[in-house]
Amino acid sequence: MKSTNSMNSTNAMNPKKAIYNMNETLKYSYYPGCSLHASAGEYDLSTRELFKQLSIGLTEVPDWFCCGATPAHNVDELLSLSLCAKNLEMAEQVEGDLAVACAACFSRLKTTQHVLAESDVKRKQVEKAIDAPLKLDGKVKHLLEILARDLGLERLAASVKKPLSGLKVACYYGCLLTRPPDVTNLDCVEAPTIMEDVLKAVGAETVAWSHRMECCGANFTLSRPGVVIQLTNAILESAKEAGADCVMVACPLCHGNLDIRQKEIEGVYSVNYGLPVFYITQLVGLACGLTADKLGLGALIVNPMPLLKEKQLL
Amino acid sequence: MSRIGVFVCHCGENISRTVDVERVAAQVGKMPGVAFATDYKYMCSDPGQTLLKKTIQEQKLSHVVVAACSPRMHEKTFRKAVEAAGLNPYLCEMANIREHCSWVHEDKQEATAKAIEIVGMLVERVKKNRVLPTITVPVTKRSLVIGGGIAGIQAALDIADAGHHVVLVERDPSIGGHMAQLSETFPTLDCSQCIMTPKMVDVANHPNITLYSYSEIEQVDGYIGNFQVTIRRKARSVDEDKCTGCGVCMEKCPVKKIPNKFDCNLGMRPAIYVPFPQAVPNTPVIDRDNCIKFKTGKCGLCQKVCGPGAVDYEQEDRLVVEPVGAIVVATGFDLYTIDEKPKGSMIKGYGEFGHGKIPDVIDGMTFERLASASGPTGGKILRPSDGKEPKQIVFIQCIGSRAREKGISYCSKVCCMYTAKHTMLYHHKVHDGQAYVFFMDARTPGKAYDEFWRRSIEEEEAVYIRGMVSRLYQKGDKIVVMGSDIAVGVQVEIEADMVVLATAIQPRTGADSLAQKLGISYDKYNFYSEAHAKLRPVECATAGIYLVGACQGPKDIPDTVSQASAAAAKVMTLFAKDKLEREPIVARVKEAGCVGCFACKKVCAYGAVEEKEIRDRQGNLIKVVAYVNPGVCGGCGTCQATCPSKSVELDGYTDEQIVAMIEAL
Repeated sequence: MKSTNSMNSTNAMNPKKAIYNMNETLKYSYYPGCSLHASAGEYDLSTRELFKQLSIGLTEVPDWFCCGATPAHNVDELLSLSLCAKNLEMAEQVEGDLAVACAACFSRLKTTQHVLAESDVKRKQVEKAIDAPLKLDGKVKHLLEILARDLGLERLAASVKKPLSGLKVACYYGCLLTRPPDVTNLDCVEAPTIMEDVLKAVGAETVAWSHRMECCGANFTLSRPGVVIQLTNAILESAKEAGADCVMVACPLCHGNLDIRQKEIEGVYSVNYGLPVFYITQLVGLACGLTADKLGLGALIVNPMPLLKEKQLL
Repeated sequence: MSRIGVFVCHCGENISRTVDVERVAAQVGKMPGVAFATDYKYMCSDPGQTLLKKTIQEQKLSHVVVAACSPRMHEKTFRKAVEAAGLNPYLCEMANIREHCSWVHEDKQEATAKAIEIVGMLVERVKKNRVLPTITVPVTKRSLVIGGGIAGIQAALDIADAGHHVVLVERDPSIGGHMAQLSETFPTLDCSQCIMTPKMVDVANHPNITLYSYSEIEQVDGYIGNFQVTIRRKARSVDEDKCTGCGVCMEKCPVKKIPNKFDCNLGMRPAIYVPFPQAVPNTPVIDRDNCIKFKTGKCGLCQKVCGPGAVDYEQEDRLVVEPVGAIVVATGFDLYTIDEKPKGSMIKGYGEFGHGKIPDVIDGMTFERLASASGPTGGKILRPSDGKEPKQIVFIQCIGSRAREKGISYCSKVCCMYTAKHTMLYHHKVHDGQAYVFFMDARTPGKAYDEFWRRSIEEEEAVYIRGMVSRLYQKGDKIVVMGSDIAVGVQVEIEADMVVLATAIQPRTGADSLAQKLGISYDKYNFYSEAHAKLRPVECATAGIYLVGACQGPKDIPDTVSQASAAAAKVMTLFAKDKLEREPIVARVKEAGCVGCFACKKVCAYGAVEEKEIRDRQGNLIKVVAYVNPGVCGGCGTCQATCPSKSVELDGYTDEQIVAMIEAL
């Protein structure tokens, strides 16, 4: 017992957990992005609750604002880079790497770092626009990376109270998490496994399916809903065919298209998918013993309760 | 007293446009030691050289300076002319007043002044030139050929037919290489095995060829005309001299289900095997990783059934040393692997194509084995997953090739043609099937090549879609191919039964380590580098080593065979002389000053520095000094710059010569 004196008493009692001291290191600044303060409130809620549960520090960047996704970079490059650069600059004031929940914010912030690191001219323009010098070495991390790498799969598995056994999940990456590879550097660009790794660590079963890397049409959800319905239908159809009980996403835009539009799609194509669409933090949170309330499961449009009850996860 | 002749060249107008050549000649003519100076329009032309020779004899010149272009251009030309006139060729120097002067300046006055200075430097330098005798080294008239594919086989046969002995080393149990795996060959559709196997047999029967199959190069020492090559003969576990090739061991081997690499893992082989029935040598090899005897110590069936008693479980790797005068490198290629990417490699994989995960997505070589009459399906095109005949087949070109974002920017050269061939073979075997090809460009330069490609479209009904594929996925028992047709500007989706990827050609894995053993250079992809892309395409920069086939760059069979015969001709040219002459620009040790620190030995890139004992008349050792082997020395001068006691000098570039040039400035 003496050798573990430095650790807190709970860990010292449990030799398995004693290997890792959870209270020791992990601290992040947090950029929720607009969606998480609006249509994806449950993603924000479940993220905060899960991180609390895992004893990972999370401090929201004060006064953050929109990253410009998805329209800004199609309209004005300087504007889109400056929006992200200013947010990055503000994030530097908060301790820890920057944790990002939304795949689109993640993509824009990382792209900005990449573009500015490559071009001195653009960097100078942006520094003038935001009226501040830029540091570009701050790390921007998607929640997935934090769970899978910083916390680590072993520590994550050790935190599981209620394994998601029997739940067959289609992990949906969408297009932005791994692409372009030089920018996001998250996982193997066309055959990633990071989502599956996380879910397996919390006891779920993942299905092999064809459309996990396809685009849901996020950009077009309001302007060209017809396109989105077509693309999203293909994704849901493929997940269903692969035998999934539900879909898991790590992006509020993907979630909007797959969850909010699911009824509409079912109507257009005269099919019945009934596939609940969870955020990664909701499923991991569930496994770590958080309640439905704390995970905002009630906010999902496709009701997940029957499925979770059937699998005895509630 | 030296009588130096200076010849100033106009180079048409190249020099005379910016340099007043007549003034240069007049000025230089007044310099001490210069007996004669003139200018001429084209010094390198026949009349120019005649002028040079005539003047040397008439004026009894002792040294010559030609003020013209770069020595890299015409030094050899003028030194030959000087030699013909009876002078030692190394008493001739070139003053570069073209690249170093006329081409880079505009002001005639200043350029002329500079040209006079340049010539003046060379005049002072040439005074210090010594008569250098040509160095001769003996030639071992035997050749090593590394690699037993069509490239190595052709080179070996040509050299052997010329009467010289050839040592042919092949890594695999049989020679034949990739060509033995092919079904038919473009652009004539003749059967690859039918034209290949007779050549393999010729190799086996040729009195001038020693074949080391299942062997690898361990070490290479020596230099042109005098290489010592150590070859590792891997333990075959079967005595090649005793084995009759009856095949009983293979029939009786209880381990039968090992995927056969020769059949792209579609067919199975036993643990004691020959890779294919026409193998040369027809001697089996035991795959020790899969043999029960080697894994558990039990079994031993093959030894029991072997009549001549050839099976030998105790056999070990053997090292043999072969002296050779020339080396032909013909190590060939590997196909780009789509699903695996080596760690830290600049080359990325293609996860989006599902190769390795979707069983009916295959590469071109696998299709060759399916189409081959001696292949695992007996020549029927069948899906690896369920053995059904594919009715819709999609070929995708440029997988890995011309894909900078994936790490390879070159064109693999053969894929357009073999894909056209595949569509034909498919059409001949599956009459009601439809072939589609996604392509960026069809590159068909070659005799009868474009006609062949047109035929696949016009007569064999292949549908060519210009555009690339974004991804493939399995849907039921179909593979959905999502691509674009940029000619029409639409997205295309094809539900295919089978997809064939035309994967890029890459150098063999380990090509770099072989290059390091041989001391030859290679590019960033590990393709071996030729000495000159246009004028010396089959020679390495390292003397006595020649390149053939796809190890130098992607190549088809006709090009490879031509290159093999070309390399063989180069080897024969080398062997035509009993002694090799080489330029005497080599380092020489002044033994009196050498203290034997061997700093020169450490920096010598050619391994030319040896240790030499100096003894007195009674045979007592006085000291050990450095000795530069003139046959090996590359003439780089690094030792001269390194030597702390200034005891080694590079002939033709001595300190005395360099200092004289500087002092003339």
